[in-house]
Amino acid sequence: MGPKGVLGLAGTLIVVLLVLSSVYIIPETHRGVLLRFGELVETDIPAGLHFKVPVIDQVREFDIRVLTMDLPSRQYLTTEKKPLDVDSYIAWKIRDVDQFYRATGGDEFRAQSLLLSRVDNGLRDEFGIRTMHEVVSGQRDELMHTLRDRVNETSVDEFGIEVLDVRVKAIELPGQVSENVYRRMATEREKLAQEFRSRGRELAEGIRADADRQRTVILAEAFAESEETRGEGDREAASIYADAYGSNREFYSFYRSLQAYQNTFSGKGDIMVIDSDSDFMKFLKDPMGAK
Amino acid sequence: MAWNEPGGNRNDNDPWGTGGGRRGDDQGPPDLDEALKKGIEKLNKMLGGKGSRGDGGGSGSSSSGGFGAVLALGLLLVLGYVIYQSFYTVDEQERAVVLRFGEFNRTESPGLRFKVPLIDDVTKVRVTNVRTAESSGQMLTQDENLVTVDLQVQYRVEDAQAYVLNVRDSNQALAFATDSALRHEVGSSSLDDVLTEGRAELAVRVEQRLQRFLQEYGTGLQIVRVNVESTQPPPAVQDAFREVQRAREDEQRVKEEAETYRNKVVPEARGQAQRMIEEANAYKQEVIERSRGESSRFLELLNVYERAPEVTRERMYLQALETVLSNTSKIFVDTESSGNMMYLPLDRLTQGATLPRGSLSGGNQSSNDRNAEVDIQELTEQVIRELRSRQENNGRRSR
Repeated sequence: MGPKGVLGLAGTLIVVLLVLSSVYIIPETHRGVLLRFGELVETDIPAGLHFKVPVIDQVREFDIRVLTMDLPSRQYLTTEKKPLDVDSYIAWKIRDVDQFYRATGGDEFRAQSLLLSRVDNGLRDEFGIRTMHEVVSGQRDELMHTLRDRVNETSVDEFGIEVLDVRVKAIELPGQVSENVYRRMATEREKLAQEFRSRGRELAEGIRADADRQRTVILAEAFAESEETRGEGDREAASIYADAYGSNREFYSFYRSLQAYQNTFSGKGDIMVIDSDSDFMKFLKDPMGAK
Repeated sequence: MAWNEPGGNRNDNDPWGTGGGRRGDDQGPPDLDEALKKGIEKLNKMLGGKGSRGDGGGSGSSSSGGFGAVLALGLLLVLGYVIYQSFYTVDEQERAVVLRFGEFNRTESPGLRFKVPLIDDVTKVRVTNVRTAESSGQMLTQDENLVTVDLQVQYRVEDAQAYVLNVRDSNQALAFATDSALRHEVGSSSLDDVLTEGRAELAVRVEQRLQRFLQEYGTGLQIVRVNVESTQPPPAVQDAFREVQRAREDEQRVKEEAETYRNKVVPEARGQAQRMIEEANAYKQEVIERSRGESSRFLELLNVYERAPEVTRERMYLQALETVLSNTSKIFVDTESSGNMMYLPLDRLTQGATLPRGSLSGGNQSSNDRNAEVDIQELTEQVIRELRSRQENNGRRSR
């Protein structure tokens, strides 16, 4: 009973171990390949529970998720021979696991360095046929798509790798070029400042001139109106005078002259030299008024 | 995340290849696997050749008490461990992605959850909290100027399944994509836009582009918002930019000064105009009224005059002369007796008698008047004396 039991237990254990070593699990994030004596017998094994022959079969699994890789900053020349420091990244994934295994032995590092040199060359070419302006603004998307497609033409077949995206993270200007840009920016700003000031003066001058014009016109119009009004007054007054004085011309001139005398000789400063023979004086010399 | 495998042990040629070194912390089963195996082996050694177990498991009659107890204890321990391994909790902030035999099976919401040990593999992802990524630096604009931009992206995990299964490091992918999207959008905006009104629009465009990248990669991330925190010209040219600001203010100031001038001058002119017109109106009314008054006065007088012309005329004449002569200085000359020559020192007479005739000068007129009066009286007396002496001489001569 004892030894038998032990044997039974051992047997059970061995069976369990065999079972355990002949199943394997590939997670959803990976794909696997099965190697028998180093030879690929099963490829592109999907996620799930699978069986293998223990000991002689080996399973390799590869991450098939999207991976991102930073491309360290490098200098590329544009078509006008301007140097640009370009920092970019690649998003890629394993498309074909057995090809990937054959090409790289399943080593992501190797895959990355292969991709890196291809993308680097691609960037060099693409930058070389574009001006700085095109690279910076207009054609980023286009440049990247071209590059991606170009790399994919070969990398899928050769390494089983698909590049989803190549993107420029940063384009920097080398020191000397930045200096030039700063200088140009400063000059532009100075110009702009000058423009603002001049425009301000121009506007101000216009406003002042307008104000002066308005003043002149207002005063002139007022003058015209006031003269007209005075004229009306004069006319009316004259006609009133004419009506009144016209009724006895002779008496009017007498009356008015007397008034004028009174008004003109009104101060002590006026000295009148009077002939004693005048009418006014006739009684002064002779009470009878005889001359 | 824990899925991030250090690449370093990719090169070791262990027979399990990637399988061995992979799956670090939060994937229990492989380790459990090992542990269980070891446990069973230990148990084996412990039991080594002693006792037997029938197919019926624990229900078999245990003859040797010690061994049976150990076995029962072992089984109990194993059972306890298995049960313990079968439950886990998902926090309110998390979702759990469950793989069964490696295949995606379900996504669990918060609470106490059950899993099958060794078969189910659970990855917990925090989905409620908002994560942030920053991107900043100096970059080129469309017009080939440089600008310094600071940007913050807030995002969260929208789809835990995609987050776990599609991209190895979604956060890094997002960080890279943010850098790229920001520079791309700044590169297609003008400097002035980036520095001023275009900032809000820039944030929107970066957000759209970034969301597109994230969808393309299948990160399972959702952008909550993109903040352009600051956009500044490079330090080297900040002075020049401030100068522009000052120039703008100058422009405004000069303009406002001119407007102030206008607002002063034009109303003043209107006021002056008003005054002119009013004065003219006043004049008009004045002359009309005066003419009326004078006319009626004249007509009244004429009325009287026509009734007694001679007397009235005489009276008026005398009255007028009286007024005139009483107000002025007088010198009487006898023309007949004076012969043909007469000397009147008019310059002396008028000295001091040059009074302002405007009648408006107030204060010193009185004194002037008095002086003049004295002078003139003196002069008059002199003249009269002179005349008398002449008359006497004439008389003597004629006799």
